[in-house]
Parts: sequence; C-alpha cells; structure tokens
Amino acid sequence: MSKKRILLVDDEPALTRMLRLNLEQTGRFEVREENRGTNALRAAREFQPDLIFLDVMMPDIGGDEVAEQLKQDPALSKIKYAFLTAIVTKRETGTGAAEISGETFLAKPVKRDELLAVVDELLDE
Amino acid sequence: MRPGNRDNREESVAVIGMNDAPTRPASIQAQTTAAQRRASEPAQPPCVLLVDDIPANLRVLYESLNGRDYRLLVANGGAQALEIAQRSRPDLMLLDIMMPDMDGFEVCRRLKQDAGTADVAVIFLSALDEAADKIHGLELGAVDYVTKPFHPEEVAARVEAHCKILRLERELGQRNRQLELVRDRILHSMVEAVVGLDAVGRVSFVNPAAERLFGLAAEHLLTRDLSDWEPTALRETAQRVLAERRELSLDEVALPRPDGSTLPVELRAAPIADAADTAGVVLVLRDLSERRRVEAKLHRTSDELHRSHRELQAAQMQLVQAAKLESVGRLAAGVAHEVKNPLAIVQLGLDYLEQVASFDDVSAQVLADMQQALSRADTVVRGLLDFSRERDLDLKPCAVNEAIQNSLQLVRHELTQRNIAVRTSLAEAVPERPFDIDKLQQVFLNLFMNAMHAMERDGTLSIRSSFTALAGNELGPHARDAGFLPSDRVIRVAIEDTGPGIDPEDLGRLFDPYFTTKRQGEGTGLGLSVTRNIVTLHGGSIDLENRPEGGARALLLFHPEFARAEALSRPSEATLRARTARLRSANR
Repeated sequence: MSKKRILLVDDEPALTRMLRLNLEQTGRFEVREENRGTNALRAAREFQPDLIFLDVMMPDIGGDEVAEQLKQDPALSKIKYAFLTAIVTKRETGTGAAEISGETFLAKPVKRDELLAVVDELLDE
Repeated sequence: MRPGNRDNREESVAVIGMNDAPTRPASIQAQTTAAQRRASEPAQPPCVLLVDDIPANLRVLYESLNGRDYRLLVANGGAQALEIAQRSRPDLMLLDIMMPDMDGFEVCRRLKQDAGTADVAVIFLSALDEAADKIHGLELGAVDYVTKPFHPEEVAARVEAHCKILRLERELGQRNRQLELVRDRILHSMVEAVVGLDAVGRVSFVNPAAERLFGLAAEHLLTRDLSDWEPTALRETAQRVLAERRELSLDEVALPRPDGSTLPVELRAAPIADAADTAGVVLVLRDLSERRRVEAKLHRTSDELHRSHRELQAAQMQLVQAAKLESVGRLAAGVAHEVKNPLAIVQLGLDYLEQVASFDDVSAQVLADMQQALSRADTVVRGLLDFSRERDLDLKPCAVNEAIQNSLQLVRHELTQRNIAVRTSLAEAVPERPFDIDKLQQVFLNLFMNAMHAMERDGTLSIRSSFTALAGNELGPHARDAGFLPSDRVIRVAIEDTGPGIDPEDLGRLFDPYFTTKRQGEGTGLGLSVTRNIVTLHGGSIDLENRPEGGARALLLFHPEFARAEALSRPSEATLRARTARLRSANR
C-alpha cells in the first residue's frame, strides 16, 4: 500500500516542520511543506496530495481563499482539506476536528495523537 | 297777582328759537336727566326758560337774551313753568317770585323735588331786595338772584355766566362718568380679583374676578364686612393696612371657598388714601393655582430631563466601558493568536521528541513538566480569546427598529436642544433575528452621537431601515470583508447627517482604535471601533462614506438569519470571516 500524501500550508516553517516530522515518523505518510499561500495551488498540482492542511491567517493569501481556489479547480476539487488554525479554539472544536459551516477545522495548538487521529479519520472517508 | 294779564299768558307759551324740543320716550326721560341728555348732544345751545306773569317783563327778558346763542322758552305762571320744565328740561330758568298762581319759591321747591327737573339751574327775579328772600331762594337750590328792575346787560351777563358754569359742570360730570366707565372696564377686565373695603372694613366694591375667586356673587360679597373674612391672615392684613396706611402683601394665602376647597392666592393690600384720612383698603388677589400647576409641571419636566440626562450619561459610561473591554479584548485576541503558533510548534516538537528518543526518568519528568506547562499556557491563551469573543452576546430575536427607537430616545433631548431634526423611516417588514439588543443600542447610540457632534447645531438626522436586496454599489470595504454579496437579502440601516462630512484622509482610519477627530474629552476614539466590533460579532457590517449631497452616511448590513447555537459552541461562517477580517486589519 502506497503512502498517503499530505500537503502542509502554513506561513510558519517551524510549524510545518514539526507537523511533517510527526507525520513522517509514523512511516505511513509522504509530506510536503509549503510556507507561501500563493504557492499552495501549484504545490497541490505537483504533489497531488490526498489531504491538505491549510492555515487561515497567512500574510499573502488566506487559507480560506486557497480552499476556494481548490474547489474551483476541477483537477484539485476532489482533494480533502482541513483548516489548521488559531482562529478557532478547542472550546469551539472540542478534541479533534470539527465541522463548522461545512468546513473541517482543527484548532492550534494540536497534539501529535490528535493530529494523527484526525488524519486517519479524514483519509478513511 | 295780576289777573289782567291772564289772557296773554296763554299766548306767550311758545317755543322760541329752535324747533320744538324732540319728544323722547318716557322711559328714557325717566332714566336720563336733562344734563345727561345735553351732555350727549354737544353743540346744542343752552335752553333758558323765562318765567314771569307780566308779559312786559317777559318781553324785556326775552329781548335781553334774544340774538345770543340760546334756545328761549317762556312761561307766564308757576304751573306752566313746571309743565314746560318737565317737558322741555331747560338748562336754566329765570324765575319770577311774585306770581299769582304759584310763587317762584314753590316752583323752585317742586322743581328740586322732581328728579327729572332737579338739575335745572334757577335764577330768581324779583323786586324784593330783602336779604332774607335771597337767602331763602338760595336755600331752595337757586344759583343766583337778579333784582328788578333789571338791566338787560346784567341779565345777559348772569345768564351767560351760569350757562358757562353749567357747561363746565356738565363737562366735568361727563369726564367723571367716562373715568368711571374706564375704571369699571379696567376692573372688569382684570384677571386679579379686586375688592374695595371702606374705612370700617365693609366691602364697597368687587370686580367679576373677585366673584369668581371667592365663588360668591357680588351681592353676597357686598354684604360682608371685615370680621367675615377668612382666612385670618387676610383679615389681619386688611386691618393693618387700614391702621398703618401702607401697602402690605402676602405671598400665598389659602383662600377657603364655599365648596370646601381652598385656593392658593397671592394678596396685595393698599390703602385708598384720601387727602386727609384713609378712606379704605383695596385688596388685589391673584389666583396662584394655575401658576402652581405650571410650576409642578416644570418640576416634573425638569425631573424627566435630569433622568434622561442620567440615562444618557449611564449609556455613555457603558460605551466607554465597552470601549475599554473592546480594546483589552482586541489586544488579547491579537496576543493569543500570535502565541498559538509558537505553542503549536513546541507542542508538536515535544510530541516528536517523545516518539523518537528514549529518556531516563529525570528526562522523562522534564518532558512531562514541559507538556504540563504547555497545556497551562494553552489554557491561559484560550481564556484570553474566549474573553474577547462573542461569548458575551445575549442574543434574543428582535428587530433593529426597536434598538433604533430606544437609542433615539436617549439622545432626543439633546437633538432638540441642538435644533437637529430627526427623520425616521423604519420599514415594518424588517424581520426579527437574534441580536444582543443592548449592544445593538450601543451601536446606534454611538452613531447618533457621532452624527450629532458632527452637525453641532441645526441639521437633520435621518434613519432608514429596510429589508431589501443589496445593491452592488452599496458594498463597502467592511461589507465585502464580512462576506456580503450583491443582491443578498439584507437588513439595511442607513444613518445620515447633514454635517461637514468625513475628511477623505480619515476615511480609512475611522474604525481604528483610538483614532478620533473629536475634541479632547468629547470622545475616547474607541466608539467606532467598538461599534464595528459589535456589528461584526452579529455577522453584520458597517461602512462610512460621504454623501454626494453633503454630510456623512453610515450603512449597516445584517443577514436576516443568525445562528446563535453555532455562535456559542461553533462559530458561524460570518463569525469566522469577521475574526479573520479583524486579525487582518490588526496585522495591516
């Protein structure tokens, strides 16, 4: 069984690195980091991920806008994505991911176990 | 007695001079004296009746006066003189004493007894030159005496002199009556009650206002004397004025009325002073009940003003308080957001290290402590964010119109004082949706006060609400950020003023915290930032712009639906958009 591909989009390189290390450490995922929102679409086309984590607050382009563009692009619209962001809190999401207004949200800071559980859940569907 | 002359007497009964005296209806004659009639008919010459039983004498008298400006009548005996006097009311009578049918004294006595002829001035004519006769005549009411044989010049001069006196007397009388009329009219039209008391305290006159004030007809009032007066203060004041002959006043007396009620009355009492002695007192009473009512009403109005002023102050305090909270919350949200990324990095870093490395007990304890510290830091940050978020909204379904009207109530007085007109057009079709009405009122209060301060004095504040499809050209920057799209069905509120408008340089900064164009002390600068925050929390938008016709306009948009359940546990899409919009504007 081939490794699932996960694209991480966040303007904070240290964060994408930590996420990547934890995911890769399981040996089950192939991970790519992208720290510029404007590059997110190109990275998605090149990498063809199964799942994308999107930060919302980024200086160049918001994660919400990236998601809109993904949905508009027929080649990318099937890709699952989730927002990993500080604009929601754990009080709002509970543990793990939560569906808010039709989108999947995961509140920062996220624990490794929580992250892996959400990834499994999203890739299972 | 001169019987030989009897025949002539009948002939000499003639009216000489002007036409026959007009015959007046008896009723009027009974009520008016000759003098009054004459007074009301100026320019008529004096009427003189010549009375003598001797035709030759009559002729001399007649000729003495003829050609002058008199109307002359003649009578040849006492009885005829009385008859003519009663019919024609002469002004003056030249009256012979010695006449056969009735002597002059008797004629004079009867003239004076009859009210209709009492004021005819009598000059006796007689050969009698006795002082006693003259005195007798004068005692009977005659004005003068001419002794026979008389000189025509003397007769003419005396008649002339007495006519002049009569004229003057009549003029004086007329003037007096006019003055009385004026006085009566003044008394009659006075709002104040006027009561005259004579020197012993009996009521001598009252005006209609006094009848109304005392609740008694004049005839009842006129039977009163001082000992009847209530209350005691009124009586004592009148007595003191009589005794001390100086003006006194009482600011307020309770005047009892026949129906058992009392009236508050102001009293001024002044002496009516004759040259020598005090002739009485005039009391002027003014009913104070209307003034007391007005005063009470003024007090109530002033109380209401104070209350509405206090309410406005309280509302302003709330605004300031909200502004402070907002500024703390905004800071907290910014800090919390910035801290979360480093927390996430440390969290995942620790988790990773735990996976890939093996630790002795001490190192494991270090990692555990770090995990715990992280968790604590996360709790603190979450607390800060929760504090600054919509947790505080107390949402209940209501219509914006209600909040608009409530807020307007708080500034209405000040708007009136500043001569600012208010035009409202609040559409009934605006649907209810969940709002925190207190917070929404803060929004409108803030916007109304801004408009008021912008206009300072004179102008129009117009407020329109509607439920409508959003026009594309009405999408301001905030509306776009908040996710409104053209033709969305929206609750729309436009608040317009006729002030100087917004400096284009300031337009972009208006919603920045602490930005203000107001004078020091007039605004904290947080008003609009708080306003936008509240609107945003409700999923709405607010944009300010200058109107082409002058003045500024605030445009507020709200979605007709707003899910409260989501807002509590799960933020709505609008809330998330609002959060990102806020953080973006803070990062800019």
